This record gives sequence, C-alpha cells and structure tokens, in this order.
Amino acid sequence: MTKFAFWLTLLLILAGLAVSRLAAAPAAPAGDAATRAALVRAILTDGPGRQKLLSDLANSGSRLVRDVLTYWTRDEIVLYAAPDGTSIPVFLEEQQDSEGKARAVRIDNGRFLADPAGREMRFASGDLNSVDTDMRLRSTIQQALDTLTLADPDPDARRSAVVKLGNSQKRQYIPILQARLPLERDAEVRKALGEAIALLGMNDPDPAVRVASINRLAQLQSLGSIDALSRVAAAPGQAPEVAEAARAAVAVINRHIANVNFFGTIFRGASLGSILLVVALGLAITFGLMGIINMAHGEMIAVGAYTSYVVQNVFGSGFGFAITLPFSMGGRLLSFGFTIPGINATGWWYQSYFLFAIPLSFLTAALAGLVVERSVIQFLYRRPLESLLATWGVSLVMQQLFRMVFGANNVQVDSPAWLLGHFSCDDVNFGYNRVFVIIFAVLIVLGTWLLLTKTPLGLLIRSVMQNRDMAACMGVRTNRVNMMTFAFGSGLAGLAGAFLSQIGNVGPSLGQNYIVDSFMTVVVGGVGSIVGTVCAAAGIGTADQVLQQVLGSPVMGKIIVLAAIILFLQWKPGGLFSTRSRSLD
Amino acid sequence: MIKSLRIVLASGLLAAAGLIVTNNAAAEDKVVKVGILHSLTGTMAISETSLRDVLLYAFDQINASGGVMGCKIEPVVVDGASNWPLFAEKAKQLLEEDKVSVTFGCWTSVSRKSVLPVFEKDNGMLFYPVQYEGEELSKNIFYTAEAVNQQATPAVDYLLQQGKKKFYLIGTDYVYPQTTNLILYKYLLLHGVPVENIGGGLRKDADGKVISAGKYVPFGHTDFQQIVADIKQFAASGDACVINTINGDSNVPFFKEVVAAGLTPSDCPVVSFSLAEDELRSMPTKDMVGELGCWTYFMSLKTPENAAFLKSWYAWLETENYPGVVKMKRAVDSPMVLSYDGVYLWKAAVEKAGSFDVDKVRAVLESGAITFTGPGGKVTMQANHHVTKTVYIGETKANGQFKILKEFPDVYGEPFQLKTLDAKLAAGK
Repeated sequence: MTKFAFWLTLLLILAGLAVSRLAAAPAAPAGDAATRAALVRAILTDGPGRQKLLSDLANSGSRLVRDVLTYWTRDEIVLYAAPDGTSIPVFLEEQQDSEGKARAVRIDNGRFLADPAGREMRFASGDLNSVDTDMRLRSTIQQALDTLTLADPDPDARRSAVVKLGNSQKRQYIPILQARLPLERDAEVRKALGEAIALLGMNDPDPAVRVASINRLAQLQSLGSIDALSRVAAAPGQAPEVAEAARAAVAVINRHIANVNFFGTIFRGASLGSILLVVALGLAITFGLMGIINMAHGEMIAVGAYTSYVVQNVFGSGFGFAITLPFSMGGRLLSFGFTIPGINATGWWYQSYFLFAIPLSFLTAALAGLVVERSVIQFLYRRPLESLLATWGVSLVMQQLFRMVFGANNVQVDSPAWLLGHFSCDDVNFGYNRVFVIIFAVLIVLGTWLLLTKTPLGLLIRSVMQNRDMAACMGVRTNRVNMMTFAFGSGLAGLAGAFLSQIGNVGPSLGQNYIVDSFMTVVVGGVGSIVGTVCAAAGIGTADQVLQQVLGSPVMGKIIVLAAIILFLQWKPGGLFSTRSRSLD
Repeated sequence: MIKSLRIVLASGLLAAAGLIVTNNAAAEDKVVKVGILHSLTGTMAISETSLRDVLLYAFDQINASGGVMGCKIEPVVVDGASNWPLFAEKAKQLLEEDKVSVTFGCWTSVSRKSVLPVFEKDNGMLFYPVQYEGEELSKNIFYTAEAVNQQATPAVDYLLQQGKKKFYLIGTDYVYPQTTNLILYKYLLLHGVPVENIGGGLRKDADGKVISAGKYVPFGHTDFQQIVADIKQFAASGDACVINTINGDSNVPFFKEVVAAGLTPSDCPVVSFSLAEDELRSMPTKDMVGELGCWTYFMSLKTPENAAFLKSWYAWLETENYPGVVKMKRAVDSPMVLSYDGVYLWKAAVEKAGSFDVDKVRAVLESGAITFTGPGGKVTMQANHHVTKTVYIGETKANGQFKILKEFPDVYGEPFQLKTLDAKLAAGK
C-alpha cells in the first residue's frame, strides 16, 4: 500500500510538473522593441558589421538576447521569405504536431508567424533555410553569450563563461570580470573569476603585475593556466623573477594535478565497478544461485535497453514497427506490426521518461525471463551443460528478434538532461550519470539483499537453491520458486540495460558486449555469493581504472586485469567467496 | 502434412526450373560479369551492405541506359562475412571461377590486404572505396577512397586556420588510426605545433623514433571516463581540439562521455574521420551539434548532380526487389558515392579502351584522362591509381546531416605521406 502511495505521489508530482511546464510556455517571451530590432539587424547583416552589433547586444544584458543567441548557435534561427521579398528571422517552437511541424516565433515581435489571412503557419525542421553560421561567427556569438552569462542565475554557466573569457588573452575583459567579482556569491565562480583575472594579468607589460598574477594562479592551483605558465617559464627574454615565479607555480599545479588524478581515479573506479555490478547482479542470481549457465543474460540486458528506447519514443512521437517474414505463405509475404501512439511530451515531462523506463525495463525483462524459463530452462535444471547450449540458442533467437523489430543498426536513446551534466569538487569531475550509477547499484544490491534475506520469497529461494529435493519434501513448490527466481534475475539484467542505454549503444549485439564481463565478475566473486559479486565488481573496476591511469593505455590496462584474474583463479578456483551450492556438488 | 510437404517440394522444383529458364534467356544477351565483394554478414555488414546496395543501383542504372559497350552488367555478389581469410577465397572464386572483368569491394584495410595477393596473382582489377591510411599501391587495385591527404590533413589545415593550437589524437587500435595519427603527428610538427601540444601520448622504439602517436582503445570499447578526463585537462587551457579516428559504435559512449564532461564544440571541437551520414543515423546527434566531419561527399551538397543522384537513388529503392536491401530510413555517404564513382570511372575506361581486358583498361585508367562528374563533384583517376577530388569540411547538425563549412577543390590523392613528411621534417632540421 505504501508502495502504491509512493508511486501515486511521484506520478502526481510529475504530472504537476508537466502541467506547470505547459502553462509556463507562453506564446513568446516579452521583450522591448529596440532589442528585438537590434537582434534582427544582427541576424540579417552579413559581414564585419555583425561583430559590432553582436557586442552591443552583449552589453544589453537582456534575457531575450541570450535565448535568441543560443538558438542561433544551435542553428535554429531560420529565415522565412515573406511574399513581399523580405526575410523574416524566426525560430521554431519545440512543441511539434503529429506531422513533425511546429509554429514559428518571429524574432522581430515575438508573435507566431501567420499568413496574410492571419492563420498560424507551421513548418517542419527542414522547410526553412537556417541563417548562415560558421565556427568564427559562432565563437563571436559565444563571446557575446559569455558576457551575458556572467550574470546568469546558474553558477555553472557563469563559471564556464568566466573560464572562456580568462583564456581569451584579451585584457579588455579584465574590467568586466573585476566588476563582476564583488557581486559574485558562489565560491567556485569566485575562484574562476580570480583565475581568469590573473590569467589575463599575465599579459600585462609590467613584470611586477605579471609576478603577482602568477603567484595568484599558483595559490589558486589553476589547472587551466599550466600551459600559459610553462610558456612564460620557458619564454626567452622573460624577466628572471617572472620566469622563477612561473616555474614555482608549475610545480605547485603539477602536485595538484597528481591529487586530482588520484581522487578522480578512485571515483571512476567506483563508477566502473558499479556498472560491472549492475550488469552482473542478474547473472549472480541466474548463474550464481540457480546454477544455470545463462548465455542469454546479455540479451535480457538488451531487452531492458530496448524497453528504455520504446518508452522514450512513446514519450516522444510514438513507436511503431512492421515485420515482414522472410518467407511467403499462399503466395503473399506475411507481415505484421503495430504502433504505439506517442504522447508528444516536451521539457521536463519528456526528460522524466527515464524514471518510467526503469521499472518498465525490470518488468519487461522479467517477463521475457519468465517466458524463457517456462519454455526452455525448466527442463534443464539437472543438466547444466545443456543449459549452456540451450540459453546460447535462446540468445541467438533473441538477437534476431531485435534485428527484426528494431533493425540491425543501433538505435538512438537520448539521455535526459539531468543525467548529462557534471559537477566538480576541487577540479575532480563527477558526471551525473556516474554518480547516478553508483547510487543505482547500491539501491539494487540493497533491494536484492532485502528480498533474499527478509522476505518469505527470499527464504523459499534460498532453500530451493540449497537443496531442491529437500525443499520439495517440505512442501515448497520448487517449480514456481525457480520461475520467480529466474524472472527476478532477468529483471535485474533489464535494470542494467536501462542504465546502459544512457551511457552506450543500444543495438542487437549489446548483450554480447557485456556477457564476458558479467561472467568474469560472478566467477571472480565466487559462484553463488552476492557479496562476492559486489567485491569482485568493485575490485575489477578500481584495478582497471588505476592501471589505465598508470599505464596511460586502456588496452594494456585491460590485458593486465585479465591476466591478474587468471592468476587469481589459479590460486583460488572458487573465487573470492566460495560457497557450495546445488550445481557445484 | 505429407500433402503439404509434396506441394512445397513441387513448388521448389518449379521455382528451380524457372530459374534455369530465366538464366538461359539471360545468356542470349551479351553480358559482362562484375564482382561485388563485401561483408553481408558479421560485424562489418552494417556498413558494407550499403555499398552492395549502391553498386546494384549503379548497375541497374547503367543497364537501363544500354549497358557497357552494349553488354548488360551481371553482378556476381559474394559475401566476405567479415572474415578476412574468407575475403581472399571469395576473391579467388570471383577471378578464377566466375571470371569477372572487375570487382568492387572491401571496406576494412585488413580485408583489402588479404585479397591483394589474389588480385595480383590472377591479374584482376579491384576498386576500393573507403577512406584509408595509404602507404600502398598495387597495379591491380584502384583506390577511389580518400587518401590521408584528402581527409585527415585538410581537416587539420582547417582547424589550424580556426586558431586551434592543441590537438588530441584518439583512435581504435588497428592499422588505419595508427597510420593516420602517425602521419598527423608528423604533419602537425611540420606546421609548427610543438610536441607538448599533441595529446594522447607517444610510443617510441629503442632508438627513440616515434612509432605511434595518440591514445588507442580496442574495438567495442565502452569506458571512456579516464580518456575524457585526460582530454578535459588537456583542453583546460583553451584552443584545443580532438582528432577522432575511433571506428564503429564505440563512438556512442565516447560522445556521451564528452557531453557529460561538458566539453562543447565551441570549446573543444571533435573532428571524426569514421562518422558519416550512415553512421550518424544511430548516433545521439542532438548532443553532437557542431562537431566536425571531413569527407569528399556530403549528402547536403547542393549541386544538380547530387540532387539528381539522390532523387534517382530513392526512386530505385522504392522499386527494386533484390533480397536483403533495406528500404526504410536510408542515408547516403561518402563511401557509397565513391563506390558509385568507381563504377562510372571503370565504365568510361572500358568504353575508351574498347575492351574488357584488364591490362587495356588499366592503361586507359592510368592515362589520367578518365573523369566523371559524380554526386560529390568531378573525380579524375590519376596515374598512381588514386583519385583527384574535392574535399569538404562539415559540421554535424541535429538531424544527422552535415553543414558544409569549407571545401578544398581538386585535391590530388597522395598515398605515400609518411616518407614525404619524414623527408620534409629532416630537411627542416
């Protein structure tokens, strides 16, 4: 009941978000006519005049300018050729109708573009030509945006703007940055501001100012300035005190880099370990506990990943497929298919698709596991070697099914924005998706542990896995318990797939890429032991990242990890935590 | 049950008889056999089946307009199955049993290296269409592919022009990225980029000579955390870019990590040499807007030849009924167009030589007089078996197409870069 209440609350919150989002999407942002006119001029002017117009706009500080310039860098400002021969710059709304068309917002007055009769016009994304941009113009726009974003409400955006200005080597930014310094409250951004001002100060003609700037950079342990400092240290004709200060600063920053790499490696090891754990946990159940050499484990992962893909499409414009069978009956090709209509969600509502994809991936994969167990595996509990061949066959069949339904190519899964960013703590980067996987791994291990040790089902599972015949004698319906256990293990694989869709490929051979890692983790940890799987995943993940860092080559790192595993298994064939189970007797 | 089995058998026999009859009918026309040697199964199938399709299209187009010297082209399609030794066997079968006049095929460099001795022994003729590392020249192979100086070095020229000062090299660990990056390393040195501004690491042999530059990952690598953290430190001081020769679907985790780390194209653009429109169909392109590509053809080219080509290609896809040709969501990219160009270069050479004989056709091709204006612009076969063509730099858009930023017209294909660069570097010292 509480579970139900939780989901209901979540659903309500999300629905509320969606409604507020819809309500908050006004017809067009309001803005004053002069700014709009200046924007239109900047867009329509070609050549050197543009530069000047853009820098004027940058100083206006307007929110509208930022929005339009952002659209421009993304190539989304398009020109509508009006019947009277003028070009009207517009951008297309994010919200698309069923034909993939959207309304166009005029930049000159913020209204929707309408035909002479006053009807709103709709366009597909390729209908109109975009305004020309190239790298150089884009970086000019970017600089204008940077100046604007110095006052952005988001500290991350402010910081990245500050860093860019600091690297520009243009001393004219110093006053702009200094003016910002007393207003800034965020510690990270203040540090970046100090760095940027000091970096720009290194171009000062006065050596005393240069030395002071360099010392400031050393004090700030500024990673970004190490190149500039090394250049200053090695520059011929440099004042000796400046060169000396620069050398000292480089040494300080190098020590800092070593620290950053150390902590970064630990975090990356934890994240890789979590991925291994998420991927292998399902196998720890089906292979570890049940003793089925489950070669179809990878395909259960793929089921989860494809479920995320379908959910994403349902939140977008819908999902449909048609299969034509490769043979004919009665002279005509057999084909069938179906379509799930999309709900065309946008904004946060769309971004939340992944929250729904997670439980659905579990359910779909568990269902697939149930079908496989009932149709194939239930006949093979006493014949582990045949189970290897049979599940291998199942995996081939499933891969072919993926190809028929989703095509042989990989499919696109867009990561929601809240998984794409990162935060830094003293220059160590923590990607949101990586932090997410660590929490995710902890949660599903906790869930599995609770299920196995604290629930009646867990008790039944453990008893059947320890001794099936005895459990049967005690009245346990072993058949049903096997079914539930296999479905649960498959569901866990599905969860792994949902996560993997956020960091890698989703394709028919997705499972093949992870099956070896999964078996490796389970075997090293000790077949039959969940704790072992957890330890093995953490150990392999950390060792891999440390070796990569030390050797500087992912290939060598992997080879050494594999060699170490072989030696380890020679020494302890049962893995880290060897247990005795039915299949190993 | 038995009855239905009989029906199946009978219809099978009828179908077989039908085949024999049609074959006899075809034999009455004058035909020329042409081989298609691509992987239709296995890991490379995703890329290579597209080339098979465009070749079949080119043959149909030629046959519809009268064939080559009055002969209809009869394609002999064999499957290399992504298995390199099998490529050599299939090549042998094409040359010795089917006696094809010319073969179009191969994608990976290792498959080309595997068939090369067969084509040389039996004096066959192969057209090879996919960007490659150079350092090879066989009298039996014509390379319509982009040589390194028609893709990698123009891209670097463009980045230098745009004020980039630091270059990070990353690729998949096999011959094409290794050779290309080594060439680029020397090229960058030659253009005044200091060694410490070339990222990814160097490997030297016992004498201290650099034998490998850049960072390498195995095929199918998925964990790019460490590498992207490294790139981020490298790019922290600004004006940096990444040269990406990662092949295949490892690009997806790579770009996802790049986005998650906050490396934007305006800070640190990534230029990729193995990602064309066909690959972008299954990439997260929304997160890749502004990243760069460099090819000798882009689908977004606005020329009348390209418009006509695309129109007739999609029309052909609607009506063709070859088994296994996917009709939905198709894109066209540079390797496909270079395959197509190859067919027409060969046709022009045959017609000029007045014969299908390999030696005669080769002599005409080597004369430097054979040109064809294809979808990507004018291509001219050179005496060194490579092709002069126009190189384009493009920027990825959210819809998986490229926006063309710059073109380098009529670039002469030069396969031996390493030696030239070594000589230039030595002369500079």
